[in-house]
Amino acid sequence: MTITIGIDIGTSAVKSVLFRTVAEKHEWLGKRVDRLRKRDPMKLASEAYHGLLKDAGLKKDDVAYVATTGDGENVDFRTGHFYSMTTHARGGVFLEPEARAVIDIGALHGRAISTDERGKVLSYKMTSQCASGSGQFLENIARYLGVSQDEVGSLSKAADDPEVVSSICAVLAETDVINMVSRGISTQNILKGIHLSMAGRLVKLLKSIKAKESTVFVSGGLAQDVGLLAAIREQAVDQNLIVKVTSNSDSIYAGAIGAAIWGGFRYEKLGNLKQLAKAA
Amino acid sequence: MTDKTQKTTADISAKLETGNSSKTSLMYRKNLKDIVAYCQELFDDLDFKAVKSWKEAKPGRKVIGYMPVYVPREIIHAAGMLPVGIMGGGDQLEVIHGDAYYQSYICRIPRSTIELGVTGRLDVLDGMLFPSICDVIRNLSGMWKLMFKDKYVRYFDVPQNYEDEIGGKFYIHEMQTLRDDFAKLVGHEITDDDLRNSIAVYNENRKAVEELYAFRAKGPWKAPSTEVYLLVRAGMVLPVEEHTQLLKDYLEVAAVEDRPVRDNCRVVVSGVFCEQPPFNMIKSIEMAGCYIVDDDFMLVTRWLLQEVPISGDPLENLSKAFLHHSNDTAAKYEPDVDKKGKYLIDSVRDNSAEGIIFAGPSFCDPALLDRPMLQNALAAKDIPFTSFEYAENSGQMQPIREQAGTFADSIKLWSA
Repeated sequence: MTITIGIDIGTSAVKSVLFRTVAEKHEWLGKRVDRLRKRDPMKLASEAYHGLLKDAGLKKDDVAYVATTGDGENVDFRTGHFYSMTTHARGGVFLEPEARAVIDIGALHGRAISTDERGKVLSYKMTSQCASGSGQFLENIARYLGVSQDEVGSLSKAADDPEVVSSICAVLAETDVINMVSRGISTQNILKGIHLSMAGRLVKLLKSIKAKESTVFVSGGLAQDVGLLAAIREQAVDQNLIVKVTSNSDSIYAGAIGAAIWGGFRYEKLGNLKQLAKAA
Repeated sequence: MTDKTQKTTADISAKLETGNSSKTSLMYRKNLKDIVAYCQELFDDLDFKAVKSWKEAKPGRKVIGYMPVYVPREIIHAAGMLPVGIMGGGDQLEVIHGDAYYQSYICRIPRSTIELGVTGRLDVLDGMLFPSICDVIRNLSGMWKLMFKDKYVRYFDVPQNYEDEIGGKFYIHEMQTLRDDFAKLVGHEITDDDLRNSIAVYNENRKAVEELYAFRAKGPWKAPSTEVYLLVRAGMVLPVEEHTQLLKDYLEVAAVEDRPVRDNCRVVVSGVFCEQPPFNMIKSIEMAGCYIVDDDFMLVTRWLLQEVPISGDPLENLSKAFLHHSNDTAAKYEPDVDKKGKYLIDSVRDNSAEGIIFAGPSFCDPALLDRPMLQNALAAKDIPFTSFEYAENSGQMQPIREQAGTFADSIKLWSA
């Protein structure tokens, strides 16, 4: 039996999970999301770590491997760190075993990852450093429009004549949106237009990693946005990409799950190689 | 001059004022943190205050600068002068004048070296050696002669033929010329005993550097590569005796320091022997989950692999060491194609490394032209590798972190 913790430090939240692995069977024992809200992510990671242990009635010594991902390279109690492509691929396959591609849409970027059934990354592509394909951009626009994050998806789905955002630059796209508001375009149509713009770029990423006729799992903070999911499906059809796009209520944990599972895998591998690193 | 710079200058001056006094040394070497901070100060000081302090401590002292990759520092030392490694300007030096001297497809180290020269930062040097590493550095030696007419300047050629009767004779002649030139510069003869004494001093230094590398390879979490780099880099400006002691002090305190073990992969970094990467690149590779267990930074300290004999003809001993017991890297000509890359394969085996990171400076002929042949040799042995380029002033480390990190992941998860 191997107990592992996965901690995914993102731009807007720290996601943490606790796993127990017995004979390659993974049991999910705990999870939590801590929004950053201008707090120190390293402190939040430590709080999450202790919180998970307390909730599960475990001690530090019970944990074989603390794996970080995202911006967690500096977490001082980590055993090891895995990069986001590696962890989202594994987390995606855990949450959706049929998935052979994962789209991770975080606060600052989007990435498409091609994976095999083991969660091994076969190829990946990221959006450029421009923020207009990201959650942060969508959050800003929602704030300008006076709607909450939770409403964005349903409002977008109610659009009847979406106004497509022409620019891929977040700054210019925001100018586009201001113009739309002044032209009297409805909130629903503005949001749907943004979703379609973001989805168009994500589908292009999927095509570039050759994700065809497969199940695509959407992970990251925006995976619960039903408007964005619908837009991805529409854009896939428009761009002749035959894929099944799925999500999961636990999509936000995909990175942390991948980290925890890979941590357990490494622990076993190092044990077999007799090179076991002691958890820090 | 800012307050911080003034403080740094005063600190370094105070530390070096008494030469190699162990009493002074103990004041700043009492623990690992102090040693590393001291090396960091030396690294950050683009005005070579430590060198100036050494020179001013005794009238008549002279300093000879040298560029990468290798010069026989023993001859400079035997003349009573201080050899100083000029490793470029790093990422903190704004190059204004230097860019005017070179085309855009030339690496950055000659530009920043010119910048250091024309801004007066190298005025402390009484001479400069430009060893044969590439055409750019050779041309720089000519430019230096024109720009700094009052200084001793020499393009120091090393043999590309490794037979005693051919390359050996040539190399001894080159070293003898250097010996004669330095004798004129300091106004006294450099005797064989002077050279033997210097060889012994540098043997001790090479031994200490090797012990440092062996210590890191055995337990890389105990000696982070950022620290190892700063320690070796300190040897570019410190008197060799003090540098040797510094390394010994570090090894003593690092051995008992309790540091956590990370689940990182073990890599060899190759191609970083001339233009030095930004310090943040070394940090980024480590942060990305890689323990560096061998590298070719500042090869001058590790060029000669064995203790150079002290008895006999000292120049002949230095020549034989160069020809028959020197480090194989991309910086050294290897005539036998079948042996190309063997040194990397050996390093992987000897240091229990799991992969190679090729990190070469942009436009670096010696590093980048060898790279495909080295990669072929590694591929034939199924040794994983990844490659990228840098400039000494590269600022954006995220792509390097991502690349090194995914490389580390692939090794940790999918290597046998």
